[in-house]
Amino acid sequence: MTSDAPAESPTRRRRWWPWLVGGAAVGIAAGWLVVSLARPHIYAGTVLAASSQAPPMTGLVYEDGAPVDLEALHGDVVLVYFGYTHCPDLCPAMLSTIARAVDAIGSGRERVTTMMVTVDPQRDTPELLGAYVAHFDDSFRGVWGTMEQVRSIATQYGVYFENGETDDAGDYLVGHTATLMLIDPDGTLRIVYPVELGSGDLTDDLVELTG
Amino acid sequence: MLVGLAGIVVAAAVGFAVFEPVQVLPRVRVAPGFGVVDQSGAAYTSEDGRGNVTVYAFAPTTCGDQCAAFHDTMRSVRRRVVAEVDLGGAGFRMITVALDTAEPAALAAAAAASGADGEVWRWVGADQQVLGDVVGSGFRVFFDASDPAAVAFDPVFVIVDGAGVVRGEYRYASLVAEADRLTRHISLLGDELRHSTGAASFLYEAAHVFMCYP
Repeated sequence: MTSDAPAESPTRRRRWWPWLVGGAAVGIAAGWLVVSLARPHIYAGTVLAASSQAPPMTGLVYEDGAPVDLEALHGDVVLVYFGYTHCPDLCPAMLSTIARAVDAIGSGRERVTTMMVTVDPQRDTPELLGAYVAHFDDSFRGVWGTMEQVRSIATQYGVYFENGETDDAGDYLVGHTATLMLIDPDGTLRIVYPVELGSGDLTDDLVELTG
Repeated sequence: MLVGLAGIVVAAAVGFAVFEPVQVLPRVRVAPGFGVVDQSGAAYTSEDGRGNVTVYAFAPTTCGDQCAAFHDTMRSVRRRVVAEVDLGGAGFRMITVALDTAEPAALAAAAAASGADGEVWRWVGADQQVLGDVVGSGFRVFFDASDPAAVAFDPVFVIVDGAGVVRGEYRYASLVAEADRLTRHISLLGDELRHSTGAASFLYEAAHVFMCYP
């Protein structure tokens, strides 16, 4: 059986290779273009869908007695951490991380508010909270409320806490969720950071949001 | 040349958004933090769920036929997820929150009647004030237990990932067949968990950006 179709020459068969190489080069160039020009920012924490406003902190007060009004902070980035002044390790570590990150963003720090809400309102007073957080950064705010108020609001932020056993000296630890929450300038609870958060990663995120 | 490259980039982005080569469950919001008591009388907290994919359901301990279909779905999801889904090392738990009692004996009776084994699937309860914060405000599930003998509630399932983020909410009267959807969505979560590191993780982050949701 014969065929009238002309046999494909080796030269013709090789002709598509330049197109393949050229296409691959264009694809790589396009990828490079996206990365170098658009530079999509990958946040260090879990980014939530922009579906709802951050739960209000009704009834809670700052260290100076002024009520916490999250709506008044729209336009700023707000970092919310639940901790306590007797906290031996996690709280100082997280507050230090935040302090380094905020310090590194330069002028943008004016648009960042950091607050630590106490999970130990029995021992922490507003004044004690204010002095404690100021030890890490002058701009940090201490937030206080009754146990019932803090418990209810912590629940909405995904935070659970409970007192440990009291020792002979009357001291106790408070077990608590140690994640850091970020409220974006639109007032949306946007990012949840793990306890292992690095200050450099947080700096990058804050620059992105305040830039 | 630049116009051509920009066209390729736009076409790739549109193609990703339209054809959705990867699907993910949305990161809806943070799940509430809580502490409750389980069917054995032990404390159970939201922190116990860290690292586990958890399906939450909400029901009174007794509600007849309405709950029978609801529990059928839970049993089916448990069986299928355990047998069919690879969660990439994450654990799997199911929690039914009792809307009418925090008594361990009542929780244990409800668990026995529904088939909750106390390991993968357990019943938990709390007082009404805590339930109001956790179930009503936190999970945004309607219930009215002012008459404990006739608790009004919306049958709802919620999927929460190991980081404590709500990934799926299913607000409808539940039938066994709906276990298919829950199982498929938990499987999607498993896919994402298995690819949470390395180059593939960027693909899944892109799927979140382009809202490639099922």
